[in-house]
Amino acid sequence: MTKLLRFSAFTVAISYVLVSLVVLAAFATPLWYAWRETVQEDRAHILRADMYRLRKIFNEQGVDALTSAIDVEVGSKARSAEDLLIFTDPQGNKIAGNLAAWPAGVTNAPGIHNLSFEVDGEVTRVAVLYVALHGGYNLLVANNIEKYRQLEQLFLLGLGLATGIVVLLGVAGGMFVRRTLLAKVKDINQAAAAIMAGNFSHRLPHNSGESELDSLVATENRMLEQIEQLIGSVRNVSNSIAHDLRTPLAELRSRLEELTLTQPDPAHTFNEIDGAIADVDRVIDIFNALLRLAEIDSGARRAGFVELDLAQVAGDVVEFYQPLAESQGRRLSFQSQGPLMMAGDPVLLAQAIGNLIDNALKFCQLHGVIAVNAIRHAEELIEISVADDGPGISHGEKKKVFDRFYRGDTSRGTPGVGLGLSLVAAVVKLHRGTLELRDNHPGLKVSMRINP
Amino acid sequence: MKILIVEDNERVAAFLKKGLSESGHTTNHAANGRDGMFFAAGESYDAIIMDRMLPGGIDGLAIIETLRKTGNKVPILILSALSGVDDRIRGLKSGGDDYLVKPFAFGELVARLDALVRRSQEVRAETTLSVGDLSMDLLSHKVMRGERTVSLQPREFKLLEYLMRYANQVVTRTMLLENVWDYDFDPQTNVVDVHISKLRQKIDSDVHRQLLRTIRNSGYMLTAND
Repeated sequence: MTKLLRFSAFTVAISYVLVSLVVLAAFATPLWYAWRETVQEDRAHILRADMYRLRKIFNEQGVDALTSAIDVEVGSKARSAEDLLIFTDPQGNKIAGNLAAWPAGVTNAPGIHNLSFEVDGEVTRVAVLYVALHGGYNLLVANNIEKYRQLEQLFLLGLGLATGIVVLLGVAGGMFVRRTLLAKVKDINQAAAAIMAGNFSHRLPHNSGESELDSLVATENRMLEQIEQLIGSVRNVSNSIAHDLRTPLAELRSRLEELTLTQPDPAHTFNEIDGAIADVDRVIDIFNALLRLAEIDSGARRAGFVELDLAQVAGDVVEFYQPLAESQGRRLSFQSQGPLMMAGDPVLLAQAIGNLIDNALKFCQLHGVIAVNAIRHAEELIEISVADDGPGISHGEKKKVFDRFYRGDTSRGTPGVGLGLSLVAAVVKLHRGTLELRDNHPGLKVSMRINP
Repeated sequence: MKILIVEDNERVAAFLKKGLSESGHTTNHAANGRDGMFFAAGESYDAIIMDRMLPGGIDGLAIIETLRKTGNKVPILILSALSGVDDRIRGLKSGGDDYLVKPFAFGELVARLDALVRRSQEVRAETTLSVGDLSMDLLSHKVMRGERTVSLQPREFKLLEYLMRYANQVVTRTMLLENVWDYDFDPQTNVVDVHISKLRQKIDSDVHRQLLRTIRNSGYMLTAND
């Protein structure tokens, strides 16, 4: 991880330097080019103008006029070697000019050429324009360009210095980025290591800043929360399985073992087999209930949410349980302020409300009343409550009833696997609602409150 | 009926074969996906029982998808240990007609298989249903037992309609929960039984012949036969 980061900080520095260099080049190149062009243009212009003027003198006034003009203009010796001239006769002998002799290497190709030759005992870079005049006379006009070299060197030196500064800044910047990043990542690394070691309640250090790293950490922390929750539910389920599947499996085992040991008559045997199948069915029921709980806890069913009327769902469940209540001589009433529209899973909500009614039926008085209400508290708060007039539950039990497999003393001897309220709690949580247990004086009132 | 069983677990397959033969059906058995595909495409069956996870490179859903693509409409009951809502939806989307989670009761399997086959044989939309002297008009929602008009609540009507559509065959509590109430959970208590006995009071009281019977360990059957 550290190695990779080192690599990444290094890459950042390199890229930064490269980009800076490209920018520098993009800035310097046109400048350089423009300067060169301008200087060369100017020089060519001057040479051509000189040449034109001297040629005109030669063409109109002859050799002598040109000779005296050249003598007046540059004399016979190259002084500062600014403007160089030489005028020769057809045999190549010098007639006038400040160059000692016709320089070597001058070709008669048209245009201006850059050459190096000795002037006044010094090798000098010059721009040369050469023209053949009438009658075999030759004229050469040259311009010393040595003086520009210094400027060029200054420019290149500046460029080199700028490059050096850019590289230095890039490296320093890269190191700085690496150091700050490393410091932050080190904290995160330590926190992650603690989490991997099994401390799932640990969170990554988080600054309230708006930087990318901070928002990444915030997202990561939310993910850890979800993971902690999922691990919790898995742990819960495996504990429950270990605890509560053992009992019916032990019963089943002893029943079967007894059969092989005693080998009773067929009628008794088949009776026991039926009993064994019932035991297995009980195990399967618990298993299914646990799987369903796990599925709800994982939140996967949110994908299947549809727009529904909670009052309608509750009404249907009440209608479903009505004949059962009647057959037990109990009254099941339903009052609705519906429609109560919300997004949810209609089947899970029906099962949750059904479990509440089922519980109420188990615990309510012999000729008691169960009241189901669908209430709208506000636009943003709807409630389904199921109230009975049974023994209710003690304050201490109120928290425990949501524990998986918890069965209060009063429920001993009634059928059920003890997962009913856990499922209600899970369904309410899935719908981001709250579950409330209150005294109904007498009895218990359970309310599911949901913000649609 | 001729039924194809595609199931890799030998024990489950033998149990299915034996049970179905005893109920008077002929069965073929394929123990892996390749054989399953071969049988299902090569012969015509009244129904297929398809396990989802199979050895042999092709799983149950792939077989079903291939069959449906070639226009094969044979009723298929998917049998699977995968019980999640997603698994169910995927199974039915691939072209399966019903989904039964392992472990299962044999009675439940046969009842669902019968219902599938019955459904696939329905040729026209009926407007009246009748079993013995019990008749139901689906348009006017009028139910008669002999000369007597039976008045039913909407849900009771739906319950009776389902029982009448699948008359003379076993209908399980789970099938009723799923199809009459759209509930895919087991309400633990005998709520369905109470609904049935209430319905029975309405259609079978004061008459010589009981139509709505309870089949022990399985469910119910509406029949005029003895």
